[in-house]
Amino acid sequence: MTKKIKLKISARLLKKRFRKTGQGGKQCRFCGSEEYEQNLDYKNSSLLKNFLTERGKILPSRISGNCALHQRSLARQIRKSRTLALLPYSAGHF
Amino acid sequence: MKRYEALLLTVPELTADEAKSIEQNVARLVEAHKGTLVSFERWGKFKLAYPVKKNDYGVYFLTRFEINESEPLVSEAKTLLNVKLHDLIMRSMITHLDINGSLSYQRPTSLEEGPSREVGSFFREPRSRGLSDGPMDEEIGNE
Repeated sequence: MTKKIKLKISARLLKKRFRKTGQGGKQCRFCGSEEYEQNLDYKNSSLLKNFLTERGKILPSRISGNCALHQRSLARQIRKSRTLALLPYSAGHF
Repeated sequence: MKRYEALLLTVPELTADEAKSIEQNVARLVEAHKGTLVSFERWGKFKLAYPVKKNDYGVYFLTRFEINESEPLVSEAKTLLNVKLHDLIMRSMITHLDINGSLSYQRPTSLEEGPSREVGSFFREPRSRGLSDGPMDEEIGNE
């Protein structure tokens, strides 16, 4: 009867998880490949979804590991995507 | 020349005739300004992240066009999309594209393209067990 129940992931837990998985220094995902950088677009909401918390907030770069340049453009694309209802402003009421 | 793209969010109960009339309206406007309509694509039906005008679902269209820089197209396109086609289009955004960039892009999968779930399979899936019927109960039953 000792089943582990998966809880809702809060921002603090996400932070812990990112720390454990990251070996060595964190790296910006968009700096490495050009292909990945081109996909950074307001239409590609399935990619941008990875950079939101459960409540719909934008993940800080301290957690996601993005460089300042890409964090800025990422946040801009997320805000664009929100106006077209592709991404939520906040999570709905529970 | 400048290249623009516009993403339109329309009402979910859009008929094929209404979709065609939107395309004709956009094409007519672009032609009036001596530009070219590059593409007009239907993305399909989507579940929205939040209700817009009390609609939980919506249909997206992506259109792209090229135009001379001196033409005042963008402001007129905004009045066309936001005012004249107001009852069909709920949200719209016109963005500037790089003229030398590639036209390929990635988009989320719509409800029509995604895997459909049969009604029968829904009941056959193993449901999570509550506290009442675990291994504890079996032991009691054997006794």
